Amino acid sequence: MKRTTLWVSGLGICVTGLILFLAACSKSGGKSSTPPDSTTDTVLVNLGTNIIIPSYQQLATTSATLDAAVGAFNTSPTLTTLDAVQTAFVQAYKAWAACSELEFGPAADLYLTTHFTNSFPADTALIKANAGGASYVIDGLGNYAAQGFPALDYLLFAYGNDATLARFTTAGTASGARQYLAALTASLKSKTAAVATAWNATGGNYIDRFSKGVGTDAGSSLSLLVNALVMDFDVNLQNYKIGIPIGQYGPSVLPKSPTKVEGYYGDLSDVLLVTQIKAFQNLYTGAAGGGLDDKVAATNAQSNGGSLNDAIKTQWNTLLTKMQALPDPLSDGIQNNNSAVNDAYTAVRQMTVLLKVDMSSALGIKISFQDDDGD
Amino acid sequence: MMTGIKNYLYRPYPIAPLAVLRIVFGAVLFISTLRFIARGWVRDFYLTPKYHFPFYGFEWLHPMGAAGMYTIYGLMALAALCICVGFFYRVATALFFACFAYAELLDKTYYLNHYYLVTLFAFLLIWAPAHRRWSLDVLLRPSLHTLTVPAWAVFLFRWQLCLIYFCAGLSKLTADWLLYAEPLRIWLPARASTPLLGPLLRQEWAAYFFSWAGALFDLSIPFILMSRQTRLAGYILVVVFHTLTALLFQIGMFPYLMMSATLVFFFDGPVKEPAHRQSRREPALLFLLGLYFLWQVLMPFRFLLYPGNLLWTEEGYRFSWRVMLMEKGGAAFFYIKDPATGRRFEVNNAAFLTAYQERMMETQPDMMLQYAHILERHYRQQGMAHPEVMVESYVTLNGSGSRLYIDSTINLAAQQESWFGHKQWILPFKK
Repeated sequence: MKRTTLWVSGLGICVTGLILFLAACSKSGGKSSTPPDSTTDTVLVNLGTNIIIPSYQQLATTSATLDAAVGAFNTSPTLTTLDAVQTAFVQAYKAWAACSELEFGPAADLYLTTHFTNSFPADTALIKANAGGASYVIDGLGNYAAQGFPALDYLLFAYGNDATLARFTTAGTASGARQYLAALTASLKSKTAAVATAWNATGGNYIDRFSKGVGTDAGSSLSLLVNALVMDFDVNLQNYKIGIPIGQYGPSVLPKSPTKVEGYYGDLSDVLLVTQIKAFQNLYTGAAGGGLDDKVAATNAQSNGGSLNDAIKTQWNTLLTKMQALPDPLSDGIQNNNSAVNDAYTAVRQMTVLLKVDMSSALGIKISFQDDDGD
Repeated sequence: MMTGIKNYLYRPYPIAPLAVLRIVFGAVLFISTLRFIARGWVRDFYLTPKYHFPFYGFEWLHPMGAAGMYTIYGLMALAALCICVGFFYRVATALFFACFAYAELLDKTYYLNHYYLVTLFAFLLIWAPAHRRWSLDVLLRPSLHTLTVPAWAVFLFRWQLCLIYFCAGLSKLTADWLLYAEPLRIWLPARASTPLLGPLLRQEWAAYFFSWAGALFDLSIPFILMSRQTRLAGYILVVVFHTLTALLFQIGMFPYLMMSATLVFFFDGPVKEPAHRQSRREPALLFLLGLYFLWQVLMPFRFLLYPGNLLWTEEGYRFSWRVMLMEKGGAAFFYIKDPATGRRFEVNNAAFLTAYQERMMETQPDMMLQYAHILERHYRQQGMAHPEVMVESYVTLNGSGSRLYIDSTINLAAQQESWFGHKQWILPFKK
């Protein structure tokens, strides 16, 4: 009796202790878990150092240039300074197209997300009201569709250059319009600068955490990156930039809506799509260094009898060709049922499956933002 | 022979294994429930989703509001604690079982084999007098105290565990697992950053080693644990095996549940007491438990009723102790067609489902069917007279590469779920 009791309590305590210990240090320990050790991953280092940081740097620089151009324009609004603003705007928008698939880490923490930068179509009524003197919080919850690049696209291109200039100079609401313009670019400038700094080794040094966040758990760098990439491709590119405008995708029975394309007023849809595809491709191949392609190639995953890596690489090229063949402006092409648009959509859909199903499964990454158990 | 079986099942057996199981397993359940609440899963799993995927036959069950669901989980935690310390034991086990089973039946998205195991163990604990030693109940009512119980009360749990391991082992005897080392071939290199073990996991032979060792472990551990001479070695194996899986995979409480449950193979010894007097209820109880085990043995083999690859169709997959057998990923594009106008458009799944529900739905045909009916109801309410629901679905299974999963011409809104019927609209798997 005594011996059994001892046995029981001894083993019971040991097992409970072991369980608590393992539960405490287990990998499923949560989203906030710090990287498991100090080893780095060469692919992550390359993507972070040579692609992601330069992309954010470019976005921060072009946004600052845009803000300065707006400052010059507001001081002396002429067709020349307007043209400078428009040029700077296109550069910054293109820089965003190379960053939109990176919505994790600092971008998510500092709200440099699609919500705040690229909610299109722009809410033109709200923009007019804000420019007309209504009170607003530039990045407030209700102001998503009245800020960022789509709002600027509307303000800078919707009326032709002469009428646009008049809206900022002679119209009754001109001073409000100038203020709103400045508020929009100032917000972009500060948000993009904050994210670029947060990534930099000399700033928030997220690059260090990114490089060391090895593995494929929820919360690992690869999981964050692939999830963000797939999300951006599936939702933003496939559904919002093409699916909704061509009337394929929507919450209810809607006709096609060509005006809902990205960059509608400045006819920027095509150039932004091409830029975005190139950015995806760059991230996948790692440019001159290691990229996702190396990870995929290492798995020997197959696709229709060939290698998955080759299939994805080929599909990037196909996509680029299709995007370059899009009618310009895209909205007119959609209105006229241009077959190149549907071709591009089909190619995008094929790529969505390759990325979301084949690639993530081959890499052992779960497409989900939830932290959950399996068995 | 009947007397032989009776004597075997009713002979006095030490209560110690049962009491230890109660204490340790109860503690793990308590921790597990607190962890579930602390992670916000009550909210994420039962309060946030707009729609749910109840098990067939339980569509009448619905989640309660926030107060209700948190009460359920609070009661569950309390009951688990009471089980652990043996306080109002029968009430506590019944309460835990009821709350846990309710939560499990609400949504198959969250189905895990170890939740199924918890449900079964909670059910079995209701019938076993595990509180009659080392418990508060005994402290309050000393007359409850006993050193022995009828043997069946201990054997129940041992048999259940043997069945789980053995079925898990049988399910690994496939070409995918043994000849191609799938899906460990995908999962292990993905874990190459694990300290110490990492570099090993990159090797191809590691996937084969773990596959074969895993199958061998599952098939042999019931016998190793059942034999008195080898059970200590067996338990060391259990601890090593489950610790490894805990380190390598995101599988939550599973390893700890198994490490605690398998303690029931210990702490027996010679008994000097005379045979128990049989109570009048026991034959009926035994008959029911016999039925229970018959059901337990048959369930894992019901997949034989269906044509096609089990891992692909998942018909007969759940409740069968099939663990870690597949790396499956999918994408499902649902289309609504209004036959009145001929217009067809694609649905935003995220507007209806949470990311977790969507991910599980994308690889499981019965969930796709449920989702199709959710969509049909929604668009009917929107005023469409006869919405048709089609899905263009791609799935990859164990590195096969994505291929079309469901017949995309079929109107799923017109298809019905059934108890054991085969879903004709799942396209056959070609490797």
